[in-house]
Amino acid sequence: MSEGPRTVAIDSFGLTDIGKVRELNEDQFVVATLRKSVRLRHTSLPDAGLVSRLAGAESHLFVVADGVGGRPGGELASTSAVSSLLEYLDHAVVAYHELDTDQEQNLLASLEESVQRAHDKILADYGSATKGPATTLTMVTLSWPRAYLVHVGDSRAYYLRKGRLRQLTRDQTTGEYMVDLGAWTEEQAARAKVGANLTSAVGGQEMTPIVGLIDLEPGDVLLLCTDGLTKHVGDPQIAAVLGGSGDAEAMGRELVRQALELGGSDNVTVIVVKLGG
Amino acid sequence: MIQKKVCMVGVFGTGKTSLVQQFVHSLFSVKYHSTVGVKIDRKAVEVDGTAVTLVLWDLAGRDASQDIPLSYMRGAHALLFVADGTRRETFDQLDDLQQLARSAAGEVPSMVALNKADLTDQWILGQGDEAALAARGHLLKTSAKTGAGVEAAFAWLAREALRAGGSGA
Repeated sequence: MSEGPRTVAIDSFGLTDIGKVRELNEDQFVVATLRKSVRLRHTSLPDAGLVSRLAGAESHLFVVADGVGGRPGGELASTSAVSSLLEYLDHAVVAYHELDTDQEQNLLASLEESVQRAHDKILADYGSATKGPATTLTMVTLSWPRAYLVHVGDSRAYYLRKGRLRQLTRDQTTGEYMVDLGAWTEEQAARAKVGANLTSAVGGQEMTPIVGLIDLEPGDVLLLCTDGLTKHVGDPQIAAVLGGSGDAEAMGRELVRQALELGGSDNVTVIVVKLGG
Repeated sequence: MIQKKVCMVGVFGTGKTSLVQQFVHSLFSVKYHSTVGVKIDRKAVEVDGTAVTLVLWDLAGRDASQDIPLSYMRGAHALLFVADGTRRETFDQLDDLQQLARSAAGEVPSMVALNKADLTDQWILGQGDEAALAARGHLLKTSAKTGAGVEAAFAWLAREALRAGGSGA
């Protein structure tokens, strides 16, 4: 997929904090590595390196989920969704470095299917789509250099490249929807009480996963976060932290520290992924 | 199910995302969002009785700071080049974009959508430009806003992708 290096060092770190106001942390996160299991016992292959390359192939899974406030059981929804994803992806995702078109279409369909299954499981376990628990979900599967993204709700994914921060996701909120339609201005959306309401959530009345991908480059930094970060810490501050010289853990801790210092009004969760460069 | 990968290619702001949104969701957004990376949508269509899922790869448009990575276009079964009739540069770069795409995807069915047909009073392209484009391949005027030409464009791509690749994906 890329003429760049076949692998890079990946430094990743996830952290969640209850914040300063909430009594319960309804966020969840996962940082995981998926490996092909190939153990070479005996071979007549002249290129034994092939097997070692296969055995070394790995993908990385990063997920953040934020149980929807205002509904009972937000923590149940985020826990159930992330657990369901892990169970499904364990079977569905194999670590590939080179996918042909069909394999890639199938992988994308599997990732989307995993979110649909999580949605169905919440509805089956807890009932009502209108009053039952629901959650946001932002998931990146990284099979270097390609990062596959599936997103529902208003948690976010960003990447920083050469000092420029770009948001990979768009919030699925009433405010965004009305602005898109031209019915509201940005200011009206920001002021409206219902502006922050989700138009799509796992376990919710509507669930519309957004699927995308991007080829990353050495030196890029990826961030997944819940809105407990972005309510308080703006894009310039995020860019400054991700553009710093620390490791992924130092960056993650600094972002959470800033969110707490600036109010900590919500649970805050971050995953930082530094791609060696 | 037969799947066909269709890449949307063009300069930034030509309406690639809006065409997909109109085709898949029958929606038009008045707010411009630049695409980051690739956004992927699917839509099932039927071509002469054969069910086909179009997997639409909406590629971030070319701008001064970034070209379109070849890696996104590899394995495409069809290409939809999008130009904006109100912006000369989106037309001028078509040749270059077509060469770039061919180097990645090979000779696959492709067409040009001259988008923003709802703004023809603001178009700067002359009939000579359109005739030149039409002479080089399939061309349709589209409007992501009104939906004009959108179904027809994707239907043509689905048919040609199926014809070029047989019943296999």
